[in-house]
Amino acid sequence: MVSLSEPGSRSAVHGVSKAALDALIATHGEGAIPAQMRYDALARFEELPVRQVIRGGRTWRQDLSKLDLSEIDVLDTLYADAVSGGLTARGVIVTDFDTAKAQFPEEFARAFGAAVDTRDDKFASLALAFQHGGTFVWIPDGVQAEEPIEICYEPSGAAFPYTLVAVGSGASATILERITSDERASFLCGIGEIVLGEHASLRYTIDQSAGPASRAILTRRAALGKDATLTLALAELGGEHVVERIRVVQREHGGNVEITAFFFANGDQHVDLETEVVHAAGATRSGTLVRSAGTGRGQGRYLGNIKILKAAHGADATLRDDALLLSQEAHVDSIPALEIAANDVKAYHGATVGAISEDEIFYAQTRGLSRPDAERMIALGFFEPAIARFPGEALRERLRAALVAKLDL
Amino acid sequence: MAETGLRIKGLRASVEGNEILKGIDLVVEPGSVHALMGPNGSGKSTLAFSLTGHPSYLVTAGSASLDGEDLLALAPDKRAKAGLFLSFQYPSAIPGVAVGNFLRSARQALHPGDLPPAKFRKMIYEKLDVLEMDASFLPRYVNDGFSGGEKKRLEMLQLAMLAPKYAILDETDSGLDVDALEAVGATVNALRASEEGERTGYLIITHYPRILKYIKADKVHIMLDGAIVTSGGPELADVIERDGYDHIREEVAGGVA
Repeated sequence: MVSLSEPGSRSAVHGVSKAALDALIATHGEGAIPAQMRYDALARFEELPVRQVIRGGRTWRQDLSKLDLSEIDVLDTLYADAVSGGLTARGVIVTDFDTAKAQFPEEFARAFGAAVDTRDDKFASLALAFQHGGTFVWIPDGVQAEEPIEICYEPSGAAFPYTLVAVGSGASATILERITSDERASFLCGIGEIVLGEHASLRYTIDQSAGPASRAILTRRAALGKDATLTLALAELGGEHVVERIRVVQREHGGNVEITAFFFANGDQHVDLETEVVHAAGATRSGTLVRSAGTGRGQGRYLGNIKILKAAHGADATLRDDALLLSQEAHVDSIPALEIAANDVKAYHGATVGAISEDEIFYAQTRGLSRPDAERMIALGFFEPAIARFPGEALRERLRAALVAKLDL
Repeated sequence: MAETGLRIKGLRASVEGNEILKGIDLVVEPGSVHALMGPNGSGKSTLAFSLTGHPSYLVTAGSASLDGEDLLALAPDKRAKAGLFLSFQYPSAIPGVAVGNFLRSARQALHPGDLPPAKFRKMIYEKLDVLEMDASFLPRYVNDGFSGGEKKRLEMLQLAMLAPKYAILDETDSGLDVDALEAVGATVNALRASEEGERTGYLIITHYPRILKYIKADKVHIMLDGAIVTSGGPELADVIERDGYDHIREEVAGGVA
C-alpha cells in the first residue's frame, strides 16, 4: 500500500485554531475521526496545561519554548507508506488510517480507542483533532505474521498521523516504524495505539530518524490482553525537538512487556522521552532499559515510571536507565520512579548519570587507542546493551552508524 | 644506536601530592624477566602507573625510556605504541564493547594492518587455547561482570595478542587459583617461546613468590617504601618466601645504622 495524501491546497489559515480545523474538514472530510470528536479534542488541547511532573522536589516540565505552532499549515501533506509483506492473503489488514474505518468498520471499531484516552492529554488531543493520515494494522486471531510490516512516515510541513495496530488472540506480528524527513522544517504530532489480544505477541520497533529541523510530539499507548507480550524498541535519533511519551497498561493477568529506548541529543537537539508501565493485574512482568546521552549543546530528559497497582500480585518490574554526558554544555536529566501499591512484587530500578570514566579511557589507551578513539569506543559501547535488543543486524548497524555520525559531528 | 631496554633512572612520582616513588633505578633488558617484589603499599603499582602514564600519577623527577624512546614525554597510547604493556591489577570494565572487537582495535592500533581477519581469528583461537578459555569469551563485554580470574585471563589474552616489547604484570597472580596461575604461566612462556614474543622483557610485580614458580625470573628486586632496597637472582624470592619482608626490612635498617 502506498498512500500519498492528496496535495493540500495551501490553506489561508495557519496555526491550530478552530478555523484551521474547519478548513481541514472542508478539504478532506471528517475521515475516520468524527467532526465533533475533533472539535472536542481541539477544545481540550486549548484548555489543558502543558504537562508538568514533580519528582523529589524537582519540577519536570515539558519544555515547549521552541515550539511555535502559529505558522503551521494543517493541510500539509504526509507521505506514508506501509508494506504488508504479502500477508494480506491471511486476513491481515495494512491500510491507510483514513480509509480503514470505511473499508473495515468492524475491525476498526474494535481497536480504535482501546488503548488511547486523549481526554487528559494536551498533545494527544491536538493529534486527534487534526488527525489526517496514518496507518491501520489488523492481525486476525491466530495469525502468525512472520514477515515484518514496515510503516514509514515522512512529514513535510505539519502532519498528524494516527497509527493503530491491533493483534488478535494468539496472533503475532513484527512491525518496523520509520520516521524520516528532509532538511526542511516539519512538525509531526501523532498518536500510536497498540492493542494486543490474549496471548498476542508484538515486536514493535521505532526508528525515529527525522531531519534536523523536524519537531515531533508523539503519544503512544499500548494495552495488553492476558498473557500478551509486547517488545518495544525505540531509537530516538533525529529531529530538532522531539517529545515521545509511551504508556503501556497491563490490565490482564500474565502480560510481558520489554521496552528498550535510547537517544543521543547532539548539536542543539532536544529530546524528551517518557515511558510508563502500569501493572494493574497479577503476574505481569516488565523490563525497561534506557540509554540516554548528550553531547554538544544537546538537551535530554528521560522520565521513567513503573506503577504497580494493588491488584498486581506477583508482578515483576525492572527499570534501568543510564545517562552519559559527553560535553560540558550537554544536559541530560534522568528521572526514574517506582510506585508500588502491592506487597508481593519484585521491583528494581537503577539509574546512573555521568561522564565517561577516566579509568576506562586510560585502560583503552594502554592498549594503543588514542584518547578520542577510546572515548568514541566507550560512548558507542554505552548504547550497545540497548542496540543489542533491536532486531536484525542490518538495523543494528544502521543505528550504530547513526550514533557514530553524531559522535563525529 | 639507542640503548635497548626499559630503563628507569631516579624515578620519583607522587599521587595527590604524596611522594610514593623515591628514586627508582631499574633496567629490564629485552627478553629478560625481572620480578619486583614488595609488601602492599611499597609503591609497586605506582611504578606501573607512572610508567604507563596514568593521569593521577605525577612523575616529579627522573627518567624512563623504552629502547631509547623517552616514555615520560608520551601520552599513554603512544607509550603502548612504543611497546609497553600493562596487565592491570584491577582491569576496568568497558560495558558494551565486545572482547573480540576490543582485541581487534588494540591489535590494529599497535600493529597496523599486519593481520588480515582470518589470521587474526586464528591467532585469537590459539591464544584462547593456551589460556584454557573458549570462544564464548569473545562476544562478552570487556571485563563487564567478569570474575577476578576471568579478568586476569583477559589481561593475559591481551598480552598474548599484542606481543609488546615490554610487559608489566601488576599482581597478575593475586587472587588466582592454581589452575589460573598455570594458565598465566603458560601464556607468558608460550609468548616467550614464539618468534613474535621472544624478545619481550617482563617486569613482574608481585607480593608473593609463587608466580615465579611458573615464570622463571632472571632477577628479583625488593621494594620497600618507594625504593628498591636490594636486588639479586631468583634465590632472593626464596628468601622472601622463607623469611618474609620484615627480615629484609630489618637488614636494610641494620645496614643504615
